[in-house]
Amino acid sequence: MSRFEKLLPPPMRRPAKPGEGDGHVGTNGKTSAANGEVTALKEQDGNGARTDDAGARVVEKAKDAPADLVGWVDERMGGTSFLTAMLLRKVPKGTNWFYTLGSATLFAFVVQALTGVFLAMYYTPSTVEAYASITYLTNDVFMGEFVRGMHKWGASVMVILVFVHMARTFFFGAYKYPRELNWVIGVVLLILTMVMGFTGYLLPFDQRSYWATIVGVNINGTAPILGPYLSDFLRAGPEFGATTLQRFYAIHMLLLPGAIIGLIGAHLYLVVKMGTTAPPWIRADRKPKDARTQEVDAIPVATNGHRDGSATTNGADPSDDERAAR
Amino acid sequence: MADSDDKNGKSNGGADERRPPETLPEMKPVGYFEGESMTRRKVFAIGGQALGGAAGAVIILPALGFAIAPIFDEPEENWQAVGPRGDFVPDTYKSRVITIVEGIGEAGKTTVYVRQGSPDLDEDPNEYIAITSRCAHLGCPVRFVQAAGNFICPCHGGAYDFTGQVVVGPPVRPLDRFQTRVVDDAVEIGPRYSVTSQLEPVRARDPGEFTGGVWEYLYPPRPSTAPAP
Repeated sequence: MSRFEKLLPPPMRRPAKPGEGDGHVGTNGKTSAANGEVTALKEQDGNGARTDDAGARVVEKAKDAPADLVGWVDERMGGTSFLTAMLLRKVPKGTNWFYTLGSATLFAFVVQALTGVFLAMYYTPSTVEAYASITYLTNDVFMGEFVRGMHKWGASVMVILVFVHMARTFFFGAYKYPRELNWVIGVVLLILTMVMGFTGYLLPFDQRSYWATIVGVNINGTAPILGPYLSDFLRAGPEFGATTLQRFYAIHMLLLPGAIIGLIGAHLYLVVKMGTTAPPWIRADRKPKDARTQEVDAIPVATNGHRDGSATTNGADPSDDERAAR
Repeated sequence: MADSDDKNGKSNGGADERRPPETLPEMKPVGYFEGESMTRRKVFAIGGQALGGAAGAVIILPALGFAIAPIFDEPEENWQAVGPRGDFVPDTYKSRVITIVEGIGEAGKTTVYVRQGSPDLDEDPNEYIAITSRCAHLGCPVRFVQAAGNFICPCHGGAYDFTGQVVVGPPVRPLDRFQTRVVDDAVEIGPRYSVTSQLEPVRARDPGEFTGGVWEYLYPPRPSTAPAP
């Protein structure tokens, strides 16, 4: 059992292989074959032997409570097989810290979602009161500046992480078959993140927000044919009007988060289903291990022989285009 | 399906019996009748999907119409007095603040630059020219700089001459204007309209949209704006 697995409550662990474990039935009726360390935990009072001390018995019972709770839920919901399959899935050789960028982006989104919910408790999406409500929540509400700061700076962090995550996917070639659909979903998520930034920028309703929105909407409007109507849709009319701010607010806090959550679900599903790609510098094992060790001497080397050390210092030879700069 | 099986059986004849004779007859779905073009199951599947689609449309179409309705709202004509005729002279602009959207406080106001028509520029001295402060590039607020006689935009370096024509920078057309009229010796300002590079009035466009020629079709006039004067 790996160290990581020991951290999991017993129902989430993989069952012991046949022949392993002692088939010992613990105090709560679970076999300790799969969770030998429960016994280990009890070693201080004599290898799981029961004591007559009532206090010790309560402590012992309490130790099993989290596992019991998880077991109770799992018996009725059966989610642990899904969780173990997802958390303990195989990852390719060479997986490194770059592979955490997607999770980091997800974490940034969760921060935005949580802080956003609490900011909405104080914010008033009205052209007359929005700025006052923002100054109130920033200056007067306990920790208001901190929560708003998390939302404001977290937005930039999320956009940056999205791009770095995207760059990782691109440079590792992880967008290729059969993962194109996940790339497409990711691009839609990128666009939605941008729209999030655009709609959220208006909400403080200070001078910068207002003029940035005027400029942003007019940039949208420069698209031929449909652009002018898109502008009217965004502003809810020909000018920045009474419901423009509310419209941006509704898009920012209701429409887009729902869409983003749904797409993140599809994104993660495909990640788990397809598995991740190995970094490009990891070479595929084309042959079984035994065959490889036998034939390792027979692997042909490059034609001009520089790989075997015999001709590492070839003189200049323009007729040899093997090593021309490319 | 049953038909093709029969034909195969006939063409094969008795010599090449591919199928053992004791094969069970093919099961027909419940409700099958001779000559049917669609199984009962398929009829119900299509019917169910059609009903679901109709139910979805009943929800989505009104919601969508609700969201895009403002595009088709026709504007009310709104005239505001900005001062007596004597306030305005032909050789410089006076800035006035008008309300273009009611009920949203400061955010509904805008600055206009007003002057009397100048005979030097072939204009009727009984008319008044009102020029918007909204840059024709992307909508930043331009200022009239009296010393230079120009309108200058702070955002991206656009500049316009005294009549609002582009001198330099990224703006795509001259500054928009407002309709004006004189009522009881007071100058009143009405709906906004855009102009072409020859200062011919056209229906109001948003900043960043060209006017005149083919652009009138590429940036179609919106129903939410007032017609050109």
